[in-house]
Amino acid sequence: MPQSTQVENERTATSTPESEAGVLVVRRHHLLVRCSHWLNVPILLGLILSGLSIYWASPVYKHKPNPQTGSFDPLADIGIWICAHVPGLHQYISPPDWVYNHISLGPGMLAAALRLHWLCAYLFMLNGLVFVTGLVTGGGWRSLLPRRTDLRDAAKMLWYYIGVPFAKLTRHTWLHPRFNTKYNALQRVAYFSVPIVGLLSVLTGWAIHKPMQLYWLTWVFGGYDKARVWHFWLMWVFVLFVVPHVILVLADGWDTLRSMIVGWSTKTQRSEEFDDEP
Amino acid sequence: MNLEEEHSAREADNTSSTESVSSRKLASFFQERPPHVVEVAPQLLRHWTRRDVLLFGTGAIATIVGGGSLLPQTTLQRLGIIDGNEHWPRKEWLLNKSLRIDDDVAEALYSSNRLVPTYTKTQITPLKNNYNGATPDPSYIPEWHLTLDGLASGLSVSLNIQNLLGSFQVHEQITRLVCVEGWSAIAGWAGLRLDDLLRAYPPTSQAKWARLESSVNLGPWRNPDPYYVSLDLSTARHPQTLLATHLNGKPLSVEHGAPLRLLVPVKLGLKNIKAITRITYTKDEPADYWAKRGYSRYDGI
Repeated sequence: MPQSTQVENERTATSTPESEAGVLVVRRHHLLVRCSHWLNVPILLGLILSGLSIYWASPVYKHKPNPQTGSFDPLADIGIWICAHVPGLHQYISPPDWVYNHISLGPGMLAAALRLHWLCAYLFMLNGLVFVTGLVTGGGWRSLLPRRTDLRDAAKMLWYYIGVPFAKLTRHTWLHPRFNTKYNALQRVAYFSVPIVGLLSVLTGWAIHKPMQLYWLTWVFGGYDKARVWHFWLMWVFVLFVVPHVILVLADGWDTLRSMIVGWSTKTQRSEEFDDEP
Repeated sequence: MNLEEEHSAREADNTSSTESVSSRKLASFFQERPPHVVEVAPQLLRHWTRRDVLLFGTGAIATIVGGGSLLPQTTLQRLGIIDGNEHWPRKEWLLNKSLRIDDDVAEALYSSNRLVPTYTKTQITPLKNNYNGATPDPSYIPEWHLTLDGLASGLSVSLNIQNLLGSFQVHEQITRLVCVEGWSAIAGWAGLRLDDLLRAYPPTSQAKWARLESSVNLGPWRNPDPYYVSLDLSTARHPQTLLATHLNGKPLSVEHGAPLRLLVPVKLGLKNIKAITRITYTKDEPADYWAKRGYSRYDGI
C-alpha cells in the first residue's frame, strides 16, 4: 500500500468521533508470517528430536573411552553423572542414554529418525518460503533490517533485561530504553539473525546430506566433518534463541502473544514520534 | 521501485556526495513504514479475536495429535501414550513418501559425469571394520568366485579373482566413504571399474538395475544373513564406481570384504557391499537389505 494512503487512513482513524467508541489497533504480523511462525514450533521440535537421534548414531564429540564406564561420548558422561547424583535416578536402566532419552526420539532409531528428519526438513524449507512471502507481501521485512546503531542499542536492551529482576527486588526505578520502531534493537538483531540461522541450517544440512553432488557447498563449510559441527551448533543457536524469546513474550503480556495469533495489537503508540527518524 | 531504478540510485549514491532524489527514494524504500493504525468497533474486534484464537487452538490440537502420531512407535510407547504395537498405514505412507521424495531429489542431483572429490595419501584416515554382524570366517576366500546373471547372452558367468584382475584395467582412487550414521573415512582404493565389467558382460537390454549380493555375510550370532543391495545402472556405470580389490595398497582383508567389494562413493556406505558373490541385472528395482529395515532405497549422496 502506498505510504500516502496509509497516512490518510491513520488520519481518518484518529479523527473519528468519540461517539463510535472504536478501538485503535495496529496491524503487526501478516497472516503468512503468523502461520509460518507457529508451524516452526512442531517442525523445529521434530528436527531437533530426530536430529539428536541421528547425532547419537555417531557423535561428533568424542573422547578416549573411559576405562570404568566404556563411554566415549560427553553427553553419555553427563547422563552417567546425573543418574549417579540425582536422587531417584540411581535405578535408571541405562545411565549413558539418560540425556539422549530426554532430548531425542530414543535409542536405536536411526532409520525412523532419518525419515522424520527428512519430512520435517522439507517442511521447514517450504515454511521458510511462506515466511519470506509473508514478509514481502506484508512489508514487514523493512522492520527487520539492521541499523547502524543496533549493536549499541541491543547491548542497552540486554543490560536493561539483565537489570530488571534486580531492580524489581530492590524497588529501584529501572527505565526501559526508548525506541520508536516496531521492534527494539535487540529484537531486530534477533529476528534478523534467526532467519539467517535457519538458512545456514538448511545449507549445512544439504552439505552433509549430499557431500558428493553438492561438494562445493560442503567445501564452503570447511568439508564434511566441519559441516556436521556447524549443523550441530546451529541447532543450539535456535534453542538459545527460543528460550529467552518465550520468556520475554510471556513477560511482555497477552497483547504481544495475541498479536502473533490475530495479527493486530492495541499498542498503537510507539515511544516517540515516528517521523523524527532521520 | 524496480531493479533498474534501484541500481541507478546506488550509482548516484556512489558518484555524488550530495543527496540526489533517487538516493532519497532508495533510502525511503528500505525505511520502516509508520504503523498502520485502523479503528475497529469493539464488537467486531472481539469477534475477530474469538475466531482467530479458536482457529489457532484447533490448529494447535490438530498439530499435537497429527505431529505426535508421526513419532516412532517405541517413542510413543516410552512416553506411555500407546501400549503395544499399533499400525497406522497413513503415517507409514507419509513418512515413506518423504523418503521417496528425498530419493527422487538425490536422483535428480546425480550426474553420471560429475566426479566426487579425491584426496591425497596424507589425507587418508583409519577405516574401521563396519560389518553389521559378525565378520565372516576367511575360509570362503580360496573358493570364492563371482557369478553374473541377467546377461544379454542369457548365460550365467562365473569369474574368479585372477580372471578379473587379469582381464581388466586396475584404477586407483582416494575417496571419502560416508556412512548413514554420520561418520566418514578417506581411503585409497584400487580395482576394476564396474563399467568395464558391464561392457565386457553386457546385461539384457531391459536391465535398469543391478542386485549385488554377498552370500557369506553373517548376522550378529554368526548366523548366515545374506547381504544384498540394489544399484541403479546409471550409478553402476559411474567412472568412480569400482569393484575394489585393494585398500591402501594392500589386497582387501576379510574385514573389508576380501577379495572383491563394491566401492561406490556417490552412495552411502551401506551400498558399498563387501565380499560380493553374485551380481544380477534386472528390469525392476531389486530388494535392498537396509531399505527393508526402514532406510531409503536410492541412498545417493
